[in-house]
Amino acid sequence: MEVAVFYSPGRRGAHGGFAERSDAGFRRVVLRVLAVSAASVLAALLLACGSHMPSKKTIAIITPSHENPFFKAEAEAAAARASELGYGVTVNTHDDDAHKQDDLFDIAVANRATAVILDNAGADASIAALRKAKASGVPCFLIDREINANGVAAAQIVSNNYQGASLGAQEFARLMGEKGDYVELVGRESDTNASIRSQGYHDVLDKYPGLKMIARQSANWSQTEAFQKMETIIPANRAIKGVIAGNDTMALGASAALKAAGLGNVTVVGFDGSPDVLAAIRAGDIQATVLQPAAKIARLAVDQAHKYLTTGSTGAPEKQSIDCELVTRANIDQFGLFARK
Amino acid sequence: MLFRLRALVALVLLVAVFSILSPAFLTAANLTILLRHVAINAIMAVGMTFVILSGGIDLSVGSIAGLAGMIAGLLIDRGLVLPVFGVVIYFQVWLVLVIALFAGATVGLANGLLVSRLGVAPFIATLGTMYAARGAALLVSNGATFPNLVGRLELRNTGFPLLGAGANPIWLMLAVSVAAALVAARTPFGKHVYAVGGNERAALLSGVRVKRVQALVYVISGLCSAAVGLVIASQLVAAHPATGEAFELNAIAAVVLGGTSLMGGRGGIGGTIAGALVIGVLADGLVLLGVSEFWQIVIKGIVIIVAVIMDQFQRRLAWK
Repeated sequence: MEVAVFYSPGRRGAHGGFAERSDAGFRRVVLRVLAVSAASVLAALLLACGSHMPSKKTIAIITPSHENPFFKAEAEAAAARASELGYGVTVNTHDDDAHKQDDLFDIAVANRATAVILDNAGADASIAALRKAKASGVPCFLIDREINANGVAAAQIVSNNYQGASLGAQEFARLMGEKGDYVELVGRESDTNASIRSQGYHDVLDKYPGLKMIARQSANWSQTEAFQKMETIIPANRAIKGVIAGNDTMALGASAALKAAGLGNVTVVGFDGSPDVLAAIRAGDIQATVLQPAAKIARLAVDQAHKYLTTGSTGAPEKQSIDCELVTRANIDQFGLFARK
Repeated sequence: MLFRLRALVALVLLVAVFSILSPAFLTAANLTILLRHVAINAIMAVGMTFVILSGGIDLSVGSIAGLAGMIAGLLIDRGLVLPVFGVVIYFQVWLVLVIALFAGATVGLANGLLVSRLGVAPFIATLGTMYAARGAALLVSNGATFPNLVGRLELRNTGFPLLGAGANPIWLMLAVSVAAALVAARTPFGKHVYAVGGNERAALLSGVRVKRVQALVYVISGLCSAAVGLVIASQLVAAHPATGEAFELNAIAAVVLGGTSLMGGRGGIGGTIAGALVIGVLADGLVLLGVSEFWQIVIKGIVIIVAVIMDQFQRRLAWK
């Protein structure tokens, strides 16, 4: 009802009451508010600009939103390495919107960036932007996610999801004592990483006759969805001994649901190595995760960009995969933010 | 007088600030890119202006853009499959564009009929179609992207990337805004839109076909949104079902910045274009300066609020 009133026409007379105000007093209020608002915009601009002015040789770093610590870590690692090597750096996020990514590419090219480090916004939707950059002579180095085309990017460096999944599954089987009922939470079905990780898990787990998968559900990488799916699964399967999840946020959701249902002693294994899960491993809520070396990959991409810019070649094949590492309570002190300390 | 031109004043100020802070800003290359980016929001905001002038609001514009892009992607990549006859029809690109625009206009018409005939509040009606159209866009491909929309020579459906190439989106923006400005200011329909937004009852009593005007503005908005979706799909040479998320807010922001009243009846196309330029200059300039994404959002919010505060003052002064 409020909405209808808000958009109903003919309410302009409501402001007639101001007609009685004195001219001078009103002008003063106008000026004061204008001055305050102008000052706040300027202050925000100045605060925000700081020392970010791009210098002659700039590397543009474009990733998904930094709200996710994984992307923040890789962007910061790449920026730090680029600064070390003497480059100016711009850091931007495309929020998984291929159109915004396209805009950022245009701006990077116009700004004469010498190279782009990109965690892309879609294996197909990113190709046109990358082609455009290549045609303008700006080499692009992809990290974390591949695209469905070869020869467009100078390098595509991703973590080895299959190897990581095998590591996670071996530890999961060991923790379970090689027998018992377990649940698998899968990532978004349309995402290739979800199926690669699931394949990696099953190539190991299916060899153990004692391990029995009682449910396999997609929770779309989401913590809330994982929590809800587990809440649905638990009542009929209170004998669950383990949950293996396709990423860390789903592992956290599953762990919370198990706790709420009063099920202790359930093995939970995740994938990614996020700071939240490292904390959960320390607390004993989650037993293991597979750390994606995001920071290492980002630094490697900058190093290869530097080599490419100075020698004309990265000296490595276009597609490279970097091994993941298993994190458990035993070795957790060796790991920091998506990297070995 | 100064207040009436506030979007222009803000624009000049922003351009001056960015030109000083970044040497790359005031170059022909960057300005072309800037206008290409502005075109997307501006075309959508032009359609939105008619809706807001009539006293409504259209939240479904982003979803319509996504749906139109997906329909074009489907027709170029897969063709129209008719299992009953066992044939697949591939259309030439201009026909693909017409079909996608028609789809956008149809969703707009649904909005218009909901608002004018069934009396659903515009906010609610277009919220509903926003979800429905987004769902439809996802259904077209089951959530996947249609890649590499270059068409095939033997099917004679090549040429789609041309729409978004070079300065073409800028020309499209110019054509759409000039046509819209003429319709708004010089035609009976334009006058009726203002009349309906200013005072619906008075318009009705003076013989304006209020319901028809209320329905038509959403059709215009749907057409503009579909055009935007086509331009984006053409630029990316791929159609992605999530295209256009949160675009409605950018379009509304451009309209409001341009001085059109959210209560309807007051404002115009020229202001909207200036508003879209302000948002575009702000977005690209802050990226050029390397300002963090979170600050970009904060600054955008402040600019919109300041604009609305100025709008209030303008109105108070006008009633003296």
